[in-house]
Amino acid sequence: MASAALEPATSLVEDRGRGFAGRWYRTPSFVAGLLILGTLIGLALAAPLVTRYSPTAQDLHHTLSGSSSQHWLGTDQLGRDVWSRLVYAGRVDLKVGFLAVLLPFLIGTTLGSLAGYYGGKLDMLIAYLVNVVVAFPFYVLIIAMSFVLGPGERSIYIAITFVGWVSYTRIIRAEILVAKRREYVEAAKVAGLRDSRIIVRHLLPNVIMQAVIFAMSDIILSLAAIVTLGYLGLGIQPPTPDWGDMIAGGQNFITTKWQLSVFPGLCVVLTGLGLSLLADGVNDLMRPE
Amino acid sequence: MDRLSYIASRLLQVIPVIFGCTLVCFFMLHLVPGDPARTMLGVHATPQGVARLHREWGLDQPLWRQYLDYLNRLLHGDLGTSLFYNLDVAQLIKDRLPPTLWLLFLSALMSVLIAIPLAMLAASKPDGARDQVVRVVPMIGLGMPAFWTGIILLILFALNLGRVFPVGGYGHGFTGHVRSMILPSLTVALFISPILIRSLRASLLEVLQADYVTTARAKGIPERRVMIKHALRNGVISMVTVLGLNIAYLVGGTLVVEQVFALPGIGQLMLAAIFQRDFTVVQAIALVFAILVVLINLLTDIVHAMLDPRVRFD
Amino acid sequence: MKRRLALVIAMMAAAVLLFGCGGGSSNSGGGGSQSSGTPQKGGDLVIARTQESLGMDNTNVFDNESIWIFQQMYETLYTVSPDGKSVIPWLATSYDLSPDKLTYTFHLRQGVKFHNGQPMTSADVKFSIDKAKDPNTGWGFIDSAIKSVEAPDPQTVVITTKYKWAPLIADIALFNNAVLPKDYAGETAKQFYQHPIGTGPFKWDHWTHGQEIKLVRNDNYWQKGKPYLNSVTWTTVPADNTRELQLKGGQAQIDEFPAYSSIKELQNTPGVVMHLFPSTRTDYLCMNEKVKPFDDVHVRRAISYALDRNAVIQSVLFGNGKPANSFMPPQVPYYDPNSPGLQYDMDKAKQELAQSSVPNGFSFQLSVGSGVDQDQQIAQILQNSLKQLNIDVKLRQVDPSVQFAQQQKGDYEMTSAYWTMDIADPDELVSFAVDGTTAKSFFTWYNNPQVINWTHQAQSTFDKGQRQQLYSEIQKQAAEDAFMVFEFYSPYRYATSDKVQGFQVYPTGNYHMEDVWLKQ
Repeated sequence: MASAALEPATSLVEDRGRGFAGRWYRTPSFVAGLLILGTLIGLALAAPLVTRYSPTAQDLHHTLSGSSSQHWLGTDQLGRDVWSRLVYAGRVDLKVGFLAVLLPFLIGTTLGSLAGYYGGKLDMLIAYLVNVVVAFPFYVLIIAMSFVLGPGERSIYIAITFVGWVSYTRIIRAEILVAKRREYVEAAKVAGLRDSRIIVRHLLPNVIMQAVIFAMSDIILSLAAIVTLGYLGLGIQPPTPDWGDMIAGGQNFITTKWQLSVFPGLCVVLTGLGLSLLADGVNDLMRPE
Repeated sequence: MDRLSYIASRLLQVIPVIFGCTLVCFFMLHLVPGDPARTMLGVHATPQGVARLHREWGLDQPLWRQYLDYLNRLLHGDLGTSLFYNLDVAQLIKDRLPPTLWLLFLSALMSVLIAIPLAMLAASKPDGARDQVVRVVPMIGLGMPAFWTGIILLILFALNLGRVFPVGGYGHGFTGHVRSMILPSLTVALFISPILIRSLRASLLEVLQADYVTTARAKGIPERRVMIKHALRNGVISMVTVLGLNIAYLVGGTLVVEQVFALPGIGQLMLAAIFQRDFTVVQAIALVFAILVVLINLLTDIVHAMLDPRVRFD
Repeated sequence: MKRRLALVIAMMAAAVLLFGCGGGSSNSGGGGSQSSGTPQKGGDLVIARTQESLGMDNTNVFDNESIWIFQQMYETLYTVSPDGKSVIPWLATSYDLSPDKLTYTFHLRQGVKFHNGQPMTSADVKFSIDKAKDPNTGWGFIDSAIKSVEAPDPQTVVITTKYKWAPLIADIALFNNAVLPKDYAGETAKQFYQHPIGTGPFKWDHWTHGQEIKLVRNDNYWQKGKPYLNSVTWTTVPADNTRELQLKGGQAQIDEFPAYSSIKELQNTPGVVMHLFPSTRTDYLCMNEKVKPFDDVHVRRAISYALDRNAVIQSVLFGNGKPANSFMPPQVPYYDPNSPGLQYDMDKAKQELAQSSVPNGFSFQLSVGSGVDQDQQIAQILQNSLKQLNIDVKLRQVDPSVQFAQQQKGDYEMTSAYWTMDIADPDELVSFAVDGTTAKSFFTWYNNPQVINWTHQAQSTFDKGQRQQLYSEIQKQAAEDAFMVFEFYSPYRYATSDKVQGFQVYPTGNYHMEDVWLKQ
């Protein structure tokens, strides 16, 4: 769910990003975040190498077995290897999580820049759309979407995009409003540079990092939304493995086979942790020394 | 612009937003495949039976006609009749609203109560060990889906430890309601507070570096008082904003929590109505929801404007 | 001259004896609640169920969560017997059938009163059935054979049918024909159903929407000494885990439909009794014969052979089910235990496919209800086993509330479906499932003129032996034509506190709360 906007807290600093390359390894949260995410992404990419079974291979005679040397984390209700499913689910969820944020990021940034730079009627129109979308219940929307398009990845992308752009628009608009009053922008205008060039070359590079930082926490919220949709049966559809579906499927076994829902839950937690540490790290790096 | 006319102009802006919401909601719902008549009749649906219900419900009219009728009724304060329960939607929502409002209020309160001390702890020594713990541990709450946390809390506090709280349900009377709301609110709060802690910590750090705080420190005011008097006040403002912005998310969270704790709230009603295609109920809930969100946002804006002299009324 | 029939129960009981498959026999797996000791009066019972009720209008409401509640308030002239195979007299004591088999004369029970104290008379029955048979009500189609209802004297009701119609008494036992006070006791229908009255063991108390429906004891109930309970409350608790915890914590005494995965644990929980009542639920996979290659009987047979029903029952129902051998469930009269429904056999599946129009396999879409766990799991199992036949199954996720609508329109290739009986006569199911002229054979467009002919014959055949013969033929032919994949029969799952006595769910899904009592 992407409607959570963290208002940009720090004011603009022009020389942000300078010294990034020289300092990142000395910023503990950045390194820790990178490490956690790197491991998760690495495992997901190397899925065929680190698993012995296909994530969809059933063994109906060995269902719900505990962990063994054959199945490290046991098997699920249809006798599928939980470790394999966990790793392959990582592929799906990380991909969906990142992609689901990409489109709102692009749309939101564009609209936010336009609204902030030009102001006036355009700004009012965009502000109106923002207000409507914010007031619209996300779950009505995504459930309706999955009814129209059929549940699954596509509906998730569309619904999250429909709602998610709002936060980016707000952040970028606010930042641009401040940035455009700066002297070098005025100077560029006087020099007769085209608006598009001013926005893309002079304004955006200074404000985009706020949106990037927000995007990292947005991915966490998107993942949480995917998990909730899995609970409602509208998330990633079987037989494709997905953490949300695994957690939801394990809920009937909370007292008996707790590992079925705890491990995928742990993966979501780790992803969230990695992303927020990374965001903190970037934030720290942006702060002038 | 003075404050009164600022508030008035904000109120005026609310109307077109709500109108936009009804428009989107109405047409989206009617584009969704699925027919309430068929859902209601199930395997016994015959073409005659379906046509009869369509006539009864006015679904045989063209869509724009239905929308105008809907708007017209709305202007007369009539939310319509539920297709499935054959009851006044306004009454249905009135019955179901209290548990959801309780849940929203208590969980917002609890998450603030969790967030403030933790964020203060973290901000008092940035990058120290306590800061790291506060930044990492609550994140676990974000990764635990509500239906999972909820069940664990129920097993712990409702079944095993002294049976202090009921296992779901809404209870009877005021104390019954409060008792039955503690665990569900805690479930939502565990999920929301990591977000609040992060934003509060960030704004506390920012304020603590501000000039006037440095001045206060220089005057020899003890650190604790600096924190509470200056930093916290500003921090709470930003947190109220974040909470306001997250209200939609909060309401989304209550959806699952109501399911798990068997709370007879709006979320459960909405979920059932969507699956049954009970158009009038879904439309009405979306409308109520939109009004709620708009009003809360308006309120946070106003509170923000009152508390923070830097906000200009334009 | 009218030939007086023995009580219908005797006739139906004979059928049960003849074909030996009493509902009680499948009770052994921990079913029917045996009352121990003499019933004690008093106590309040809470039933936690999965969904909210929709309304109390017995002529228009289709959801079980409403039906099972209003059946405690409204009663019918005849009612389904505990084994679900016959009907027994209830508000009527007997009936006579005219020699031309078109006129039924019912004799009403003496001393029955509505909850408002008003005595029940034939005028109330006439009013109620006239309302129920109106084709504009949801359940009106059940009464389509009824021509008229007359009330010659206060204790007698005469029903005339348009044609010979063997299922009539079973139809009269359906809840839509329940006896309500004439003219809704002076209210409008809408007002009446807000706080309805009937002759049943429990009276309306209140309904807090989304939370609970409460009924209280009817002290003037015609069955003297019953009911035992002071009140029954139905609460809505959608999450399986929460219902289970409420039962264990004593907040509810009956947990409706615990998850299959919890059954074993509940069976071993002290203080809890896990009931598995034989039901009429039968699960199928429907194949659309308008879509190639499902018009080919060999293809249908191959798929039917390829589903490992025991594996499905083990992993999805955790062993709590039986493979289906007929499209009719065992708890329905005239079910044939020897019906040759196809069972799992990979070799035969391969043979059939080799003989078919697509010997090298093909690909099709299976519609499954999104979010319906059982559908999803079975679909994945089928997908896996059909790989061996080189048949590629693509899952088409469909919102459950449009799944059946799509099936009706023929907008599917294969889809999951199930059936439960409402009445104690097979015709409701048989004419729906194999009569290609009405419901398009469960919307599979299966059309076997011979089977349709038998179905029509059975509707007007009153002789039980002949009827059995016809229904056996129908089941045999339908199985050989493999028009659907018959999957399995599954029980009704109810977990109760061990204090709950006398609770029994009938194969038609209803229960009689007047027989239930709480051990102190």
